[in-house]
Amino acid sequence: MEFFGPVLDGFNVVLDPTNLLYCLLGVVVGMLIGVLPGLGPAATIAILLPMTYGVEPVTAIIMLAGIFYGAQYGGTITSVLLRLPGEASSVVTVFDGYVMAKQGRAGAALGIAAIGSFFGATISIIGLTFLAPLVASFALDFGPPEYTALAMLGILLVATISGGTKIKAIIAAAVGLFLATIGRDGFTGAERFTFGNLSLADGIDFVPIAMGLFGLGEILYNLEERHRAANAPVKVSKVWPQRKDIKEASGAIGRGSVLGFFLGILPGGGATIASLASYAMEKKTAKDPSRFGKGAIEGVAGPESANNAAATSSFIPLLTLGIPANATMAIIFGALLIQGITPGPQLINDNPQLFWGVVNSMYIGNILLLIMSIPLIGVFVKILRVRAAILAPITALITMLGAYTIRNSMFDVLLVVLFGAIGYLMKKFGFEPGPLVLAFVLGSLLESNLRRSLLVLEGDPTGFFTRPISATLLVLFIFVAVWPVIKSGIEKRKAGSLASTIASEKEKENA
Amino acid sequence: MSIIVGYVPSNVGEAAVAAAIQEAKLRDEQLLIVNSSREGSLVDKNTASEEDLARVLDTAVKAGVSAQVIESTYRDDLTEEFLGLADKHEVSLIVIGLRQRSQVGKFIMGSQAQRILLQAEHPVLAVKAP
Amino acid sequence: MDAKHARHDSTEKSLTSELTPEPQEAEALTPEELAAQWEAEAAEPAGPIANLLSSLVVLGLSIAGMALSVGLGLGTPSAPAAGMWPFVISLIAAVMAVAQIIVGRAGGRDGEKFSALSWYAAIGFATLILMVVLMPIIGFEIPSLLLCFVWMRWLGGERWRSATIYSILIVAAFYAIFIAALGTTIPRLF
Repeated sequence: MEFFGPVLDGFNVVLDPTNLLYCLLGVVVGMLIGVLPGLGPAATIAILLPMTYGVEPVTAIIMLAGIFYGAQYGGTITSVLLRLPGEASSVVTVFDGYVMAKQGRAGAALGIAAIGSFFGATISIIGLTFLAPLVASFALDFGPPEYTALAMLGILLVATISGGTKIKAIIAAAVGLFLATIGRDGFTGAERFTFGNLSLADGIDFVPIAMGLFGLGEILYNLEERHRAANAPVKVSKVWPQRKDIKEASGAIGRGSVLGFFLGILPGGGATIASLASYAMEKKTAKDPSRFGKGAIEGVAGPESANNAAATSSFIPLLTLGIPANATMAIIFGALLIQGITPGPQLINDNPQLFWGVVNSMYIGNILLLIMSIPLIGVFVKILRVRAAILAPITALITMLGAYTIRNSMFDVLLVVLFGAIGYLMKKFGFEPGPLVLAFVLGSLLESNLRRSLLVLEGDPTGFFTRPISATLLVLFIFVAVWPVIKSGIEKRKAGSLASTIASEKEKENA
Repeated sequence: MSIIVGYVPSNVGEAAVAAAIQEAKLRDEQLLIVNSSREGSLVDKNTASEEDLARVLDTAVKAGVSAQVIESTYRDDLTEEFLGLADKHEVSLIVIGLRQRSQVGKFIMGSQAQRILLQAEHPVLAVKAP
Repeated sequence: MDAKHARHDSTEKSLTSELTPEPQEAEALTPEELAAQWEAEAAEPAGPIANLLSSLVVLGLSIAGMALSVGLGLGTPSAPAAGMWPFVISLIAAVMAVAQIIVGRAGGRDGEKFSALSWYAAIGFATLILMVVLMPIIGFEIPSLLLCFVWMRWLGGERWRSATIYSILIVAAFYAIFIAALGTTIPRLF
């Protein structure tokens, strides 16, 4: 009972009416933005950051997490019905899901996707429940050198795995690290790059950067991108899949869930890679691979289970190590910092209410999503009619007024607008905002740990290799850094896999 | 010379196409069936599906009329888009459907049909749903 | 009104009864066809000049960063001063910028070319800046109304009647939520 005591306490936290309400709010918003054109989960979470100031930390994170995994459900709907992947992680669902819709089996495809997502998430939450405390207790022994290596590896992985050019992603990460140094230096007390400006002395706030780069940047980008002709309405009948469908898909759901859980834990991994890997695996293990692309239900069930499992398990590195695995997690990390909570191995012991509250809220959230996505599918299909022209000013106003409410300061609003322009320009020139924000969030952690390790190791960088964990992480770091060079050598001889090219295309559009 | 008809998947649209097919047969001219969809939303009920267009085309061909489907998109002004197409193909007749609208509805939404009637430089045949 | 005309190049695709008796077969359904279609729909990459320019901007900024860091003092690896870490980061950024200039000299596949539609983003940015300037002076209501109307009517292609009605409704809703319900201190006129 020693282990399950805090877990059960977590349910008490979730069942608090306020938390339930915010959980519902989160998953509904997540599902909506998954369905609607334009904003992705990272942008939405960034825009809604001001909302989290007034509430308890656990309530805030429950809502933000709900947006993240709710969007995975919503993205499926447009993939299946309109052949437009709402999120990068739903790209492969298009292949078989849309064909199924054309064959009149849209209901079966959506139903199996919802059921698969639910199972994937549930398996992942159970895995999270048991694995997270283990990882956390292991990480409690981490010293500054380990953290330095881990943070460096995390930033590099996110930079190299994101779509677009690797070099540009690393540049973006470097800019993020540099922005994090602005303000008073914690070790020497020297003012860095403030140019005598008082409002810069405490450093740049995370919230305006995230709201600007992800939120407004994406809104501005969408202003020129949304000129696409409408589709004819689609009718969805019989959302409950047949018993035969469930039987055919059950293996794929199981495999996808487990695969997604493990891929989600890796830094830089996450939902997109998990769905791609699951599709490839289903195609490989199928008795008749030619069915894929012609309406095979496994091609929908596997990737959809995998992306939800991965979305859930990507909370493990954040909540146990304090290292966000992707851009969305970086924003949730920022939200926790705002609340005065530093995620890390001590979180689970110091703040069990928060940890288990958030983890257990995912059960409730997924049940809510399953309830919403099967019977209410018609409502979400109707929402597809809303024109982007009406949504764009609403999201812009939420961002502007929200930014003001953080500190009642017009300077913050101006910062958000300026970072919005930078975010837009970055996208146009092929720089990902994701690595920048992630590196910014980890910047001060990385610098202080690096300097502390150098003090411990007496200025000898080779000392990192004398400690087993930091040595392993650094070898991995070097491998990841050199890998693209080796890979491009191999790829010159054989063309890259098709699905991953498409996904990286879409990732660029949606990131 | 040809006849242009505006098609939307509704009984008004079907009535307009039916009238246009008759007219095209009578005059022995080519029929242009236009479905123009608006940009900006993912789904619009006025956009015809592939099946709808194929069926309409088939009806026209069965009636012995040479027909062509034109799918176009417009941003804010359907009237301008539609009349632009009519000018481009130098049509001899424009066929449109009229739907019932309340005064309030007309004030808020405006009436595309009314504007086409007033602004067209070609003869217009306006059809009501049966 | 310029924006509207710039955008009025309607796309037109025709199906002729004589040529293709079954038009629905024209749809691409295999993953390969789909990939090709998305590729064709995707915006053009930014190209070599954009690559050179952006890399030069990064290079310039990182050299400035290095210079400022040296000014803060570098120290030694065992006793780093305040400038050491930003210096290292700027150095990495500078090296990467040079690498990008060389690697991306042919243009590459990333980024997007600016088009006539990029003016929309510029106009959007201008309205946001205008709102930042006007909000402290005349409150949020009128600037918000303006922003909604401009974004819907000219950037979004709503008709003027629906743009007006939706703008008023949206601003009223924001007033109800932010002022009446949440009681925030956003500068306001009423």
